[in-house]
Amino acid sequence: MSDIYQESVKSDIKLTKKDVNKSFFLWWWICEISNSFERLQTLAFCACISPILKKLYPDEKDLSEALMRHLNFFNSQGIWGGLVHGITIAMEEQKARGEDVPEEAITGIKTGLMGPFAGIGDTVDWGTWKPICFALGVTFASNGSAIGAILPFLFTIITLIEGYYIWNLGYSLGQDSIKTVLKGGWVQELITGASILGLFMMGALSANFVKLTTPLTIKMANAEPLAIQNIFDQIAPGILPLAITFIIYWYLKNKGQNYTKILLTIIIASLLGALIGIF
Amino acid sequence: MVLAIFTGIWYWLTRMNIGYTFGYVFAQPVVMALPIGLIMGDVPQAMMVGAAVELVYLGMISPGANMPADEALAGLIAIPIALQTNMTPEMAVVLAVPFGVLGVFLDQVRRTIHASLNHMADKYALTCNTKGIWMAATVWPLVIGFILRFPPVFLANLYGAEAVQGFMDIIPEWILHGLSVAGGVLPALGFAITIFIIGKKTLIPFFILGFFLVQYLEINIMAAAIFGTCIALLTVLMRQEKGGEKA
Repeated sequence: MSDIYQESVKSDIKLTKKDVNKSFFLWWWICEISNSFERLQTLAFCACISPILKKLYPDEKDLSEALMRHLNFFNSQGIWGGLVHGITIAMEEQKARGEDVPEEAITGIKTGLMGPFAGIGDTVDWGTWKPICFALGVTFASNGSAIGAILPFLFTIITLIEGYYIWNLGYSLGQDSIKTVLKGGWVQELITGASILGLFMMGALSANFVKLTTPLTIKMANAEPLAIQNIFDQIAPGILPLAITFIIYWYLKNKGQNYTKILLTIIIASLLGALIGIF
Repeated sequence: MVLAIFTGIWYWLTRMNIGYTFGYVFAQPVVMALPIGLIMGDVPQAMMVGAAVELVYLGMISPGANMPADEALAGLIAIPIALQTNMTPEMAVVLAVPFGVLGVFLDQVRRTIHASLNHMADKYALTCNTKGIWMAATVWPLVIGFILRFPPVFLANLYGAEAVQGFMDIIPEWILHGLSVAGGVLPALGFAITIFIIGKKTLIPFFILGFFLVQYLEINIMAAAIFGTCIALLTVLMRQEKGGEKA
């Protein structure tokens, strides 16, 4: 008897859309503030769903357990990682209603999904939307226009909308297998499309912004000295900037991503080149 | 003085990434250039320097929140100093680089200290102190951030310009030329990182397409964005149709 009684009491607890959205905005505001080497986004994760946990678990002991459960390691990407939060919230809701959702299942879903979705988020948001929005800003700014400082906020708007939907998608997926999302294929299509646009734009922009020419000339016996830059330009304009971009790309791919080392190498090579007169 | 206080506070507040991609945008050189330009009375020049510094960091992302370079610190010091000493944008880029590296170090210190916040939260969880957890996730990191981040920018902008000016007066011509060559090449790193992050070798022809479309036709960047969007859509749609026939 007592079991049935308890279950009917617990099943009263229902989250509203407002609860779910509120946790998203909390997350959006604080997800990176408390980032630490020890547990990265863990603290932010726990803090942003704590209002929900408080509502779901009126009992102090349950609440304390839930809070501790979400102080376990978590790190994903702020936007696409939201899918994990959404799913977690749905699972906690079911657990609070008395359904059989073991703690391990919640932690398992979190740790299992945070990596892949961080990867997607890094590629789509930081790898594609960010450079495109900022590149638009840079184009205006390099002519001295203040609009260049406003355009990058496109990135904020895009990711905020994206994050809102992904968070809610995660919640509505609830306990369903995450594979259905990935199988749907639209995620893959979006990534491919965004990657193509990203690469195309990076190409277009590097044509504008990477600058390298050589003043070298070849002395001719009875004619004007032959400028090497002219030869390059006749083969294809911008061959030097393109070459240097791909040399750096090759280095990143094969020798590791030590940006500081690359930055310093570029500066030293430029200085040496200037000294001996090849740039 | 106003500038030094302003930039110090700007660095502290924006680098916390309050509002994930919202705070982040404020921390970027091309965005901070506008208020710096307004304070210093030269918006166009500030925007140009901001744009140049931004390009170096265009492709950088922070996997696992490990910053490869701190573009906020780089910009907040390089833009004001470049304006005060009449540097070209290319030169300012080179000035920015070492500060970008210094910022990474600061961030590592910060995130090491933050580890203790987790232990605070562990204790609060035992007593269901959700307010305590909230404080540990927001207010305390902000306090730590201020102590670490305000002073370096404040001091650099208070005394930096004189030091840099004195230095520039004595260095030889070829170094100045070499530095502006470096300023022209450094943006290549930003683009190379983006190609690397997107990481699909088979799609690299799209990069080359974009590059030569601009080189030969000299179209502006909005035109490129329109063409690029169409090409991306077409490619995805064609792939889907093919997939549909097979299935």
